Amino acid sequence: MDLARYAELFLTESREHLAVMNRHLLVLERSPGARESLDATFRAVHTVKGMSATMGYDAVTALAHEMETVLDALRAGRLAVTASRIAACLDVADALEGMVEGAVRGDDLASVGEPLVQRLRVLATDGEDAAAAPAVPAATPAAPSGSPAAAAPRARHVRVDIGRLDALTDLVGELILARGRLVRETAVSDNAPLVEAAEHTTRLLDDLQHAVLHARMVPVSHVFDRFPRMVRDAARGLGKDVVFDMDGDDIEIDRSLLDELGDPIVHLLRNALDHGLETAAERVAAGKPAEGHLTLCAARERSAVIVRVSDDGRGMDRAAITRRARELGVPRRGRGALNDAELLEIIARPGFSTAAQVTAVSGRGVGIDAVLHRVRALGGTVEITSHEGQGTTVTLRLPLTLAIVRALLTRVDDEVYAIPLTHVSEALETDRSELRRTRGGEVMLHHGQRMPVLRLRELVQLPRETHDTEQVVMLEIGERRAGLIVDELTSQQDIVVKRFDAARDGAALFSGATILADGAPALIVDVGGLMRGQHHG
Amino acid sequence: MNHTVLVCDDAIFMRTLISDILSGSGYEVVGQAETGAQAVERYQQLRPDLVTMDIVMPDMGGIDAVKEITKIDPAARILMCSAMGQQALVVEAIQAGAKDFVVKPFQPARVLEAVARVLG
Repeated sequence: MDLARYAELFLTESREHLAVMNRHLLVLERSPGARESLDATFRAVHTVKGMSATMGYDAVTALAHEMETVLDALRAGRLAVTASRIAACLDVADALEGMVEGAVRGDDLASVGEPLVQRLRVLATDGEDAAAAPAVPAATPAAPSGSPAAAAPRARHVRVDIGRLDALTDLVGELILARGRLVRETAVSDNAPLVEAAEHTTRLLDDLQHAVLHARMVPVSHVFDRFPRMVRDAARGLGKDVVFDMDGDDIEIDRSLLDELGDPIVHLLRNALDHGLETAAERVAAGKPAEGHLTLCAARERSAVIVRVSDDGRGMDRAAITRRARELGVPRRGRGALNDAELLEIIARPGFSTAAQVTAVSGRGVGIDAVLHRVRALGGTVEITSHEGQGTTVTLRLPLTLAIVRALLTRVDDEVYAIPLTHVSEALETDRSELRRTRGGEVMLHHGQRMPVLRLRELVQLPRETHDTEQVVMLEIGERRAGLIVDELTSQQDIVVKRFDAARDGAALFSGATILADGAPALIVDVGGLMRGQHHG
Repeated sequence: MNHTVLVCDDAIFMRTLISDILSGSGYEVVGQAETGAQAVERYQQLRPDLVTMDIVMPDMGGIDAVKEITKIDPAARILMCSAMGQQALVVEAIQAGAKDFVVKPFQPARVLEAVARVLG
């Protein structure tokens, strides 16, 4: 029997079980009596053992078997749940994570698991090793299995290759284009039954699109699950006392986006641990609780997903950052203290940071700009707020899906440009008298406020043209707003993003392209990039 | 008519593998369950000719599921799928009403043999 075709399934499922294992071991570390966590850990390692045995991955099987033996003894109360046993299990979970990957690659793992097997054997027989922590009571006896209280509702799942979902999404995209043509033709038709059929099709297609996009959504916990362990280990390594909380890990996001999101979040968490949060001694000296708090939360906001990493650490040192910006020759618009937007811009410059750790955010200079690049490439934005002595919050704002976005279509000359509606607050006409040219660029008065204004015509290098009445699209990203003048507002349409090209240089105007309902191509305006360009002046 | 089978295991990997082995030999896998409780519920709905049952599952373990299923249908034909080192549990399962067992890792030939025995 050809087992190779089960390798991918083995890997995905093993990773899930190992994540579950980690989560429950962390619970046990804090509350050794947590029976449910002990059982869940046991089941997870048992499942991994069964699967790897079937795949013929002997080294993985042997290590999992040994861990199962220890856990079984803990469950039966023959051994006590102690800190050193849980620590050993955490190490084994780590090793297994690497080993399942290695096994699938075909690595020779015979010698990798052996030291841990020996360590587990010692723990299982001897009881404790020299470094043993004070013993804690054994787990309480099992609740009767199958008791209704313990039974959580379980969803039923079918596992589908993401490639198939992509194909489905593409087809729906094509259908939406075809619908566009149908709607245009029927708009001028007086054949009532045909028009009605077209309308019905349109509604069904909306539902289909919604259903297909929904099928691509997974809870962010798929990626978040590994963070508690990572944060715990990193905090220990740094000798810091950190309480880590996660919220909103049931929020759903497009699978392909989620996969891209793991690394940026790791960067942000690491930054917070390395530089944001102080040591217990420093905190106490500053009159703060000894334990630092680090929070990761996800939330839905309109058609965006918000991911926020906040710490209650020392915050950023604006004076030092200002000095460093001057050294680097970063132009400043105003004087006085940096505002949050400027702060982000400066610390996100590649190579901003120095070995002397001028910033409390990143001593390595790779953190924030990498995060910024990745998130922008996904069509998202990054915001930062920092208060000295109180902490820093980084907010990532991401689209729910990459595949299909609702866009405002605008025209400049003969070209159509699509602006994702996520970033459009309103579209309006404004009288020429509302516009002013200032040294910092053109501005308009809007609800009594001065707002920077850009002309798409000039951005695409066409000669300036002015009209008595200008068509303005109000762009909005977080707190930032700007007006974009176009020749004409055409319509709203769902556009299928064919290729979301990562904006490689910071001034890129467009984030991708699409084909419109009439078959004409259109560029998709990168609102985030545009606003940044405008900010630099 | 082909024999119908309900496959119970908490790992999708195992369910897929067992289902593939069985479907490849002309059995009809009519359902899968990932917990003991689900196995009992599906058995009641589907009344399959055969159940393959993992021992360690969340919510309700395989042995309790065997007990529940044999209460519903004393003639139920259940094949236990156990891992190494679970002999004691296998004995308990047989006492509870399971007809036979196979031990992981599965050799397709052994699984098919055992299935044929239980159905025979």
